[in-house]
Amino acid sequence: MRRRSSLPVTFLVPTLAILLVLSMVPTLYAIVIALQNRELSTTGYSWVWFSNFADLFLDRRFLNAVWVSVKWEIVTVVATMVVAIGLGVLIFEAAGPRLRNFYCLLFIIPVLLPRVSAAFVWKFAYHPLYGIATYPYRLITGGLIFDPLSKPGTALFAVASVDVWQWGLFFAVIVLKLLETLPPQPIEAARLDHAKRWQIHAYVTLPMLKAPLISLMFVKMIESLRSFDLIYVMTRGGPGVATETLDMYAFSQGFIESGKVSYASAMAVLMMIATVITFTMLWKRVQA
Amino acid sequence: MRPYPIRPGRLIAKAILALAGFLAVFPLVWTALNALKNNVDIITREPKVIFTPTLANISYILGRDSVLTGLYNSAVACGAAVLIGIVLGLPAAYAVARYPNRFAGDIQFFVLSLRFLPPVAVAIPLMVIWLQLGLYDTLPALIVTYSLLTISVIMWLAIPAFQGVPKEIEEAALVDGYGAYAVFWRIALPVAARSLIGAIAFSFVLVWNEFLIALMLSSSNAKTLPIVASELSQQGMNVPWGILNASVVLLSLPPLLFLGVLSGFLNSVFRQKKS
Repeated sequence: MRRRSSLPVTFLVPTLAILLVLSMVPTLYAIVIALQNRELSTTGYSWVWFSNFADLFLDRRFLNAVWVSVKWEIVTVVATMVVAIGLGVLIFEAAGPRLRNFYCLLFIIPVLLPRVSAAFVWKFAYHPLYGIATYPYRLITGGLIFDPLSKPGTALFAVASVDVWQWGLFFAVIVLKLLETLPPQPIEAARLDHAKRWQIHAYVTLPMLKAPLISLMFVKMIESLRSFDLIYVMTRGGPGVATETLDMYAFSQGFIESGKVSYASAMAVLMMIATVITFTMLWKRVQA
Repeated sequence: MRPYPIRPGRLIAKAILALAGFLAVFPLVWTALNALKNNVDIITREPKVIFTPTLANISYILGRDSVLTGLYNSAVACGAAVLIGIVLGLPAAYAVARYPNRFAGDIQFFVLSLRFLPPVAVAIPLMVIWLQLGLYDTLPALIVTYSLLTISVIMWLAIPAFQGVPKEIEEAALVDGYGAYAVFWRIALPVAARSLIGAIAFSFVLVWNEFLIALMLSSSNAKTLPIVASELSQQGMNVPWGILNASVVLLSLPPLLFLGVLSGFLNSVFRQKKS
């Protein structure tokens, strides 16, 4: 029972108004720019309506970027969840309380790093001649060269490994914490029925955690959209266009190669529509 | 409970865990070691573990104007944005948590949905807007842009923190004659402080690590530290690797300072869930 107070209005209205302005102005303006033909080098522009969008669908590099983005999304989300659940269960099973805290601390470190740092750490580690990560390969093969970042077939996976290094380990900690919140009785019951350890997790604990694990996957799907920093530092979309995701391509169209701001904005608008629709639907389903 | 004997499965599990723990920190430790090496000790086919350490890389980095400007820009932009996030985000979160209305769900979803916006979709129009206003490549432009991030993240994380404050304490204070605002200042804020600090630290790490928006909104004056560091690393293959490693270490230190706070925050979130 609370007395009527002006508090909710004074606390909420300014903040929400500012958030609305800060988010809607750029969003609407992105749409406006996408319908024009602005370029960085010139100040004049005119309205071209949907021709930027029409051009996009004839642009093979754009279609490649869509495909690379989809691949990136699937590879990083699946690998992160596999690593997280695998390591989370392993810590739960094989580590005592003190060791658990130790691993939790270690596994949070990579995700705290700026992505630029993480990208650089691994870019050097993957260096074909001097890298620490390619050293075992050089050692075994007697000095053969393996350059994961400059081969079209492996570059995407090499960059994705850094993303999984950051998020998979962090999510392992969360999976562990989720396992610790479960009541012990069902696990005990399964043990009395002589269930094996992996069976307990596959049939009892993980199904019980279905809802939070799906939310976790949802968070990772959103975060995977932010691949730009890693790709920009490690490969710049290369070799060729093998790792050129949508945000990388939009950036290079708008800023590096041609300064076609409107064309880049049209791409950004399509991304925005796709992600907002997808995630709103997913979120409603997760909440339901 | 039936005791489990030590079996090979458990040993394998421990070995995998040890390997994962090693992989989690070793690349970073190696980078820190390289920051202390002369270039000849880095460019070797066999990794060198024993070497004569040098502070040349670190002192070179700390002596460069571009790095110091980047450090200053990052500190001001992130500090100001986090401050704005606190001032606007915390009260709003409290209002959502404690004064439920029929829009509460929609407000929470709106705040979360800001995270769905692709950064490019925000950065491109903002660049044009700031150019037209004559604020492109200035810290105020960056601060306003980052505030969108900090306000929404702090608000999103502070709502559950305020909901975790026992209602009875607040009601007792109301009965004692405290006004609604006094309850917020004197009761809710101090009681929820620990979780709130975690939320604030998280928002700081988020904007400190931000790259794409800073890259698009700055050309020379307002470059933040991640941009400066990435430019050092784009100089091709003849770059002094030791200096690069030192700049990575410098860039990574501030977020790592929050390791303790953030892992405590994580623990308190899940303790709340358990009870």
